[in-house]
Amino acid sequence: MAVSTPTSVTRSAARCAATLLALACLFLAGCKDQETALKVDFDKRRELSHHVPQEGLTYAYLPQYSHPISYARHHQLVAYLSKATGLPIRQVFPATFDEHIAMVRRGEIDISYVNPFVFLKMASNGAFAFARVIEPSGSPEFRGEIIVRANNPSIKTLQDCRGKRLIAVDPSSAGGFLFPMGLFLDNGVKMSDFSEVTFPPGPGGKQEKVVLAVHAGLSDVGMVRDGTLKLLANRIDISTISVLGASQAYPGWLFVARQGLPPDVVQSISKALLALSMDDPGQAPILEAAHIQAVIPARNEDYDPVRELVARVGADSPQ
Amino acid sequence: MKRLAWLPPLNPTRRLSFATKLGLGISAIVLFVSVAMTATFYEMASRSLTGEAKKWGRVLCENLALRSRDALLAQDLLRIKNHLDELKSAGNDVVYAFVMDDEGHVLAHTFPGGFPVDLPAANPLGPKNDLRIQLIDTGSMLVYDFAAPVVVADNRLGVVRVGLAKSGVVEDVVSALIDPVVNVSFLTMILAVVLATVYARRVTRRINFLREHAASVVAGYLDPPDSAPDVPPQPSLESSGDEIQQLSETFNVMTHTLRLHLDELHAAQRELTRQKELMRTILDSTPDYVALQDRDHRYMAVNKALAEDLGHPEAAIVGRLDEAFLPEAEALRNREALDRILSTGLREEEEIQVRRDGALHWLHVVRVPVKDERDEVVAVVRSAHDVTQLKSYQDQLIQAQKMESLGKLAGGVAHEINTPLGVILGYAQLLQEDVPPGSSLHADLEIIEKQAKVCRKIVADLLGFSRQADCAKMEMCFNNSILEAVTLVRHTFRLDHVEILTRLDEHHPIIYGDPEKLKQVWINLLNNARDAMPRGGVIRVSSRLERDRGVVLVTFSDSGEGIPAENLPRIFDPFFSTKGVGEGTGLGLAVSFGIIKDHGGAIAVSSPVPGDEGDEGRDADAAGPGSQFVVELPLDHSDKAYPEGPALLS
Repeated sequence: MAVSTPTSVTRSAARCAATLLALACLFLAGCKDQETALKVDFDKRRELSHHVPQEGLTYAYLPQYSHPISYARHHQLVAYLSKATGLPIRQVFPATFDEHIAMVRRGEIDISYVNPFVFLKMASNGAFAFARVIEPSGSPEFRGEIIVRANNPSIKTLQDCRGKRLIAVDPSSAGGFLFPMGLFLDNGVKMSDFSEVTFPPGPGGKQEKVVLAVHAGLSDVGMVRDGTLKLLANRIDISTISVLGASQAYPGWLFVARQGLPPDVVQSISKALLALSMDDPGQAPILEAAHIQAVIPARNEDYDPVRELVARVGADSPQ
Repeated sequence: MKRLAWLPPLNPTRRLSFATKLGLGISAIVLFVSVAMTATFYEMASRSLTGEAKKWGRVLCENLALRSRDALLAQDLLRIKNHLDELKSAGNDVVYAFVMDDEGHVLAHTFPGGFPVDLPAANPLGPKNDLRIQLIDTGSMLVYDFAAPVVVADNRLGVVRVGLAKSGVVEDVVSALIDPVVNVSFLTMILAVVLATVYARRVTRRINFLREHAASVVAGYLDPPDSAPDVPPQPSLESSGDEIQQLSETFNVMTHTLRLHLDELHAAQRELTRQKELMRTILDSTPDYVALQDRDHRYMAVNKALAEDLGHPEAAIVGRLDEAFLPEAEALRNREALDRILSTGLREEEEIQVRRDGALHWLHVVRVPVKDERDEVVAVVRSAHDVTQLKSYQDQLIQAQKMESLGKLAGGVAHEINTPLGVILGYAQLLQEDVPPGSSLHADLEIIEKQAKVCRKIVADLLGFSRQADCAKMEMCFNNSILEAVTLVRHTFRLDHVEILTRLDEHHPIIYGDPEKLKQVWINLLNNARDAMPRGGVIRVSSRLERDRGVVLVTFSDSGEGIPAENLPRIFDPFFSTKGVGEGTGLGLAVSFGIIKDHGGAIAVSSPVPGDEGDEGRDADAAGPGSQFVVELPLDHSDKAYPEGPALLS
């Protein structure tokens, strides 16, 4: 007959304890770590006064891209200019081309980096060019391109674009409107020949929006500056887009000083810009971020071909 | 059943029935598991929801940071404020939101009526621009504060802070979940208690039967009760039931097998008892002394004969040594023999002489080793057989053979001497005729003649002893033969104060024998009786016819000093004499023995005289224990043979 001895009772109790311990472990496994709360007195309050920005020169990049891209491309250049000239310079971000032009006109932007077409608009208010850039391609000029879907059977030549839907970057865009429009005119196609002419809404990113509209079939013909397709190479299949034609080359983007900016300041900034070199390891990242190969001197007369094109196209003429 | 003393003390739970214990145990387990699972679920749900809330807050904060980049760059405080207000209106759990520039200035916030001045420093971001979460106690609630940087081109433009109420995110949801869980757990526990009770009763019903069956087995009833549930009629180990069913059937098989084994054991026990008794009977019945001794010389077993020989009961002998019962020399001899057998493993046998109750006994001892399964000697069996009588027979046989050889030798010598002795005697007698009587020469010749006659008598005795003398048997009167001898010596004996009393059988039995030789026997016996009584005495001669046996007995009893016991076996040996030199040759009884034997009879001697003999008519002067010779002769002259050797009567 099996009888429980003291030893077996002890073992039984040990087994029960082990079982409860295991269950306790299971219970504790589900318990969370206790977080410590930091006490903050929410009753201790005050009204905030607006922070006044630092005084100094203002620098603006024509908002063809979004503000973060504009910042990413040019904030190092602004920092370089401040350090090289010893002048306090801060970057400002106008929302649109027109706002940018208006701010220059009002004196709220001292140094601008703009396209030739906008420069012509600013020049009418006394702004002047003092430096121009060499594109990453190595050329101081750039072109406009006319793009269509590669599989569009109805558009094989520029003339086939008549009656089609056209989308351009902005009425103030040089590579994305003015230059391609000149190409159309050279081939006998007027703006009125299109069934629809639209411009992408909203600030920034308008070059990319044109390519995406053509790629999506929202528009039949698009106008962008050269190099835009490469920006979207990793985002869409650019083989579906074909370049129907490219304009002639025109002088590229340039640095403009507002009317009334002291000449010594302009001289100092121009000197600093012209000193930038890709050969300098400290300066190369600045130029690469800004998509600029180098900076060369510029004069207003350098942009007379653009001015002629504006007149021929009949776009907004310089005031 | 009486409780065993070594069992542990009962605690109160032992008094509960197994069904109650099982039900309570299952209920307790379900209760424990329910509580543990509910608590675990609560904690895990809280943890999961807290994690989700943190993810949500992270998404809100990072999204706000992304949406604020443009406005922050453009210093568009209205857009920032709009973003914050949109976020605040997204849910009641968002307690606050605000944006700071890279210098820590709060640009916009959602607090009405002033901004908590200590809040910006409550959740500082590190240099790595990783999102940071800090639990803040506002005094009225707990808030998860999320801080995310506004980063453009790896540069921090500012910081976005979002506060989510912990209670609203986690505790309210968990509390909403935990109530049904608790309810379900409670209902599960109630259901488990009911089901456990039913299940426990069902399970323990069969266990209780097993317990009762086991109790009946303990009481000696091995057959299962007729009310046994689920027990097949024939015990078998093949079962398709559950464990308790298998246990029940196995128990049934066990009891069945146990009963069979018990029957076999009882039968084997009876057989063993019978064989043990048989063996004990054999051992106790044998006159041999049998013993079993271990390697330490201790007795393991003795038979009845040995126990009686040692003078102790068997129980007193077992476990003890020889020294406790035997003389020191005998015990030492046994010990040495035992050691030799234990060392060599060879059996031994010997004949030893021991003294028991003052008498010497011859024992034939055999010692046999007892070996175990490893062929090692573990004990020795000793068997001793009393061969005293056999040794006596052997001595008598040797003596008889010696007598026969001696008789032949004596007969041959006597035969050779008889002729020259006759010549000497004849010439001595012839010379006496030539010599004048009275002369010294005549006297010498008479001496020669006399001594020559003595020699011829000796030779004649020798020839008679060797049975080479002529024996002329005829029918003769037994009583007359005795009377002739008595008459011949009576006068002479009276001179020596020896009286001869006769009491002969009146039937005058006739025997077939040599009268001269028998008379020689009688005279010889009478002379010996007279010689045993130098100071005189009585000689009783009686004869008795025993017709049914066909024999006639004659008894010669004297009242002399008797014969020592050690001389009795040798009294018929040739040349054995207790008389002095020249008083006897020691051939009388040997010759008489040969004559009686030649007549097919027997002669025996006893000393002292048996009590029923000779008292009648014994003289008061008669002294000494005396000796008695009994001669038995057959009535007819057929070739009836008596056993060889003298019949010794003690």
